[in-house]
Amino acid sequence: MRTDEWSECLRLIAAEQDRAAFTRLFRHFAPLMKAFALSGSAFSASHADELVQEVMLKIWQKAAAFNPEKASASTWVYTIARNCRTDLYRRLHKFDTAVSAEDVGADSETEEAVVLLHSRRSSENLRGLMQQLPSDQRQILAKVFMEGKSHAEVADELDLPLGTVKSRVRLAMQKLRIQIER
Amino acid sequence: MKAMPEFHPDLDLVTEYAAGTLPLAQSACVSMHVSLCVQCRHLAAQLSVLGAALFEELDPAPVGDAQLDAVLARLDEEAPLKYGTSARLAGAVPAILQRLMSGDLSDLSWQAIGRTLRISYLKTGDPDHELALYHIRAGGRIPEHGHRGSEMTLVLAGGFSDADGSYDRGDFLLRRPGDVHAPTALQSEDCICVAVLDAPLQFTGWKFRWMNPFLKLRTG
Repeated sequence: MRTDEWSECLRLIAAEQDRAAFTRLFRHFAPLMKAFALSGSAFSASHADELVQEVMLKIWQKAAAFNPEKASASTWVYTIARNCRTDLYRRLHKFDTAVSAEDVGADSETEEAVVLLHSRRSSENLRGLMQQLPSDQRQILAKVFMEGKSHAEVADELDLPLGTVKSRVRLAMQKLRIQIER
Repeated sequence: MKAMPEFHPDLDLVTEYAAGTLPLAQSACVSMHVSLCVQCRHLAAQLSVLGAALFEELDPAPVGDAQLDAVLARLDEEAPLKYGTSARLAGAVPAILQRLMSGDLSDLSWQAIGRTLRISYLKTGDPDHELALYHIRAGGRIPEHGHRGSEMTLVLAGGFSDADGSYDRGDFLLRRPGDVHAPTALQSEDCICVAVLDAPLQFTGWKFRWMNPFLKLRTG
């Protein structure tokens, strides 16, 4: 069981609708969400604020679905922010769809016990491994995950061949020990 | 049926999927594979952990107290939801597909192409990609065709083979522009696939070539 501060906040919100816990969560995560919305200039400042509100409300509503056995609080929060950002982006571009990003997006949770052990260890090691990444690989991961750019868009922007972008992503994943088990 | 899929989306594709940058219809197709594949589910979860680590290292952008107050004021209208156990992985048909079909496989309207192939186009809202179900009769062969764009295929039921291999339920394939193949369904049962295209197919044989002008991409 994870007992870090943010998991505890989510538990308190779910169990007691604790507004103080919600406020602590807001003060930590809202500035990250705003930075996430603004990275890659995806959104204007007012849309970034809209995203922050939406994500925080979702967290309030969905707190009972958070399972600390299956994901860390920050991964869970990030996944909601990622889905809400995609949905907001599609709404702003008059994208007419009944399908939300949550319906088709990657889950933060894994249900298998063995897998869980591994992913817990990797989330602990990940930060350390990330510090050792060469800056060109790190930059590309930031563009893909934080700026929400496809590999092709990153290649365009950095004026690199698509193959170079892909191989940097692969190298980064190797160093982060994120791999396909086949 | 195999216990686990043998053919998977590659690391690049799962990375874009986990980062949320795939177009909607492609994301739907990858998510259907992921729902049937424990390894890819694990990989996507690891990549979400990576995304979260990058998220936590962003330079925080200041958010004023007015924003906090605005959210707090809205909490009463948004009561916390109660949750049961997730039913996302239950059943033979991935949940997202059930939603897109808004009903049963038998309720869909199908367009017949020859005697072996029927296609049903599903509406996703993706303006650049077509998402369709292909139903190939047991033992039936889809006429040889090429791909002007990319095509993702996920086997939902039965299986098929082409010159490169044999694919069963849960298997995922990505065809790139220029690939030509002629898939044949297994003899034992009908094959149902999900296919996502960004350009129409092109039949290469004389017998079906006349159809090409009619194969417009059904996006949206």
